[in-house]
Amino acid sequence: MSRRSTALAAFTALAALTGGVHATEYLTPAQAQAQMFPSQALTQDFRQLTPEQIAAIRKASGESPLSPELKAWRAQDGGWFIIDEVVGKHEFITYAVSLDASGAVRDVEILDYREAYGQQVSDARWRSQFVGKRAGESLKLGTDIQNISGATLSSKHVTDGVRRLLATYATVLAAR
Amino acid sequence: MPLSSPQGNATRKRCQPWLGTFVEITAAHADDDLLRRAFGAVATVHERMSFHAQHSDLAALRHATPGKRVRIHPDTVSVLRFAIDLYRRSHGIFDVAVAAKLVASGFLPRPPGVDLRRMTGTSADIEIVSDRDVILHRPMLIDLGGIAKGFAVDNATRLLIDAGMTHAVVNAGGDLRVVGETRIHLRDGDGAIRRSLVLSDAALATSANRHTRRQRGGTTWVPHLDAQRMPRPIDHAISVIADECMTADALTKVALVAPPEAERLASTYDARIVPLEPSTGADH
Repeated sequence: MSRRSTALAAFTALAALTGGVHATEYLTPAQAQAQMFPSQALTQDFRQLTPEQIAAIRKASGESPLSPELKAWRAQDGGWFIIDEVVGKHEFITYAVSLDASGAVRDVEILDYREAYGQQVSDARWRSQFVGKRAGESLKLGTDIQNISGATLSSKHVTDGVRRLLATYATVLAAR
Repeated sequence: MPLSSPQGNATRKRCQPWLGTFVEITAAHADDDLLRRAFGAVATVHERMSFHAQHSDLAALRHATPGKRVRIHPDTVSVLRFAIDLYRRSHGIFDVAVAAKLVASGFLPRPPGVDLRRMTGTSADIEIVSDRDVILHRPMLIDLGGIAKGFAVDNATRLLIDAGMTHAVVNAGGDLRVVGETRIHLRDGDGAIRRSLVLSDAALATSANRHTRRQRGGTTWVPHLDAQRMPRPIDHAISVIADECMTADALTKVALVAPPEAERLASTYDARIVPLEPSTGADH
């Protein structure tokens, strides 16, 4: 089982158990495309990364692609739109990156953020905090838990992912 | 109209990575251009005040010659002015010049070309000469960390208010500010949501260090240091409500290491400290 599918399976198990503790969909891929490349047609140009390309990307960025499939779209102005995923200790994030024609990052947008805390979500006492114990407040898992303030969540996985995508661009897309 | 269903109707919600965290902007009836400008306000703070950004004002300050003027952006001067003021009012507990300690204990990356042993200055050695110029009288490493996040949240929020928004939330990884009325959930040091409250035209910040600990030389290090520059591990998170997010964030840092001092300061800033110990979490 690859690292990605292991992480995905673990995540799915948690989500099934709890309904997802904190999940937000910000943009669909189509909305993100329209956002980043307004009034431009994008051409789907997915690639299967070869083992050699994956090794080159790892060497250049220090990060291994989670999947050999590169979800890339080419813009009319020579730019690129890429959708990618990263998995952290507690979170699973889908994000989109737009590159200009020179391969420089133009925008990064989070499309989808899902979060679960393994030990805590299996603890009934912890889960019970979400289901109506607060003076009649009913909190539905995954839907009502919005606007959280806590210790700062690190965006390091996404930053590392963007660095990996820049190496992927240099290795695979720019080399056409 | 609370913002409880952000994807509903005309409410827009977007998220981008800035300042080392996830910045989420929610606004009712905002168009794409307004959201772009609000994120732009955050991005600008990132470029000027991130410890990690290569060409930031902080990079200029860490290579400054002691006693020589350094020209930086007026926004960075504003944040430094606030930090120096709080340094004095907190008797040295709040100090943005402790980044050398945070690098040595592994919480911040070591900036290239910097000799940590020389970085001995404190906020008392920062002199603000004009709205654009500062002098460091001793070499130091400055990390604006949380207050830069708070400042970015305040700037983005002001931009939304100026554009006529009446219901919005700007949340930079827990440092947040609300326009209108919104329910906020507070996450404790262990990740559990222990408390929720309704915030109305105010800012709230939360800090914790239960999951940011490193063992070094027989000491448990956390990124929050007391006036003796020693780490103060604490299991529970602390939230602060204030008018401005920069104030709220700064006071959480004082409250983590010196609760009585923080209570005294909170009253002078018209702020309120919200502890997250389970025994005190039963309101709302």
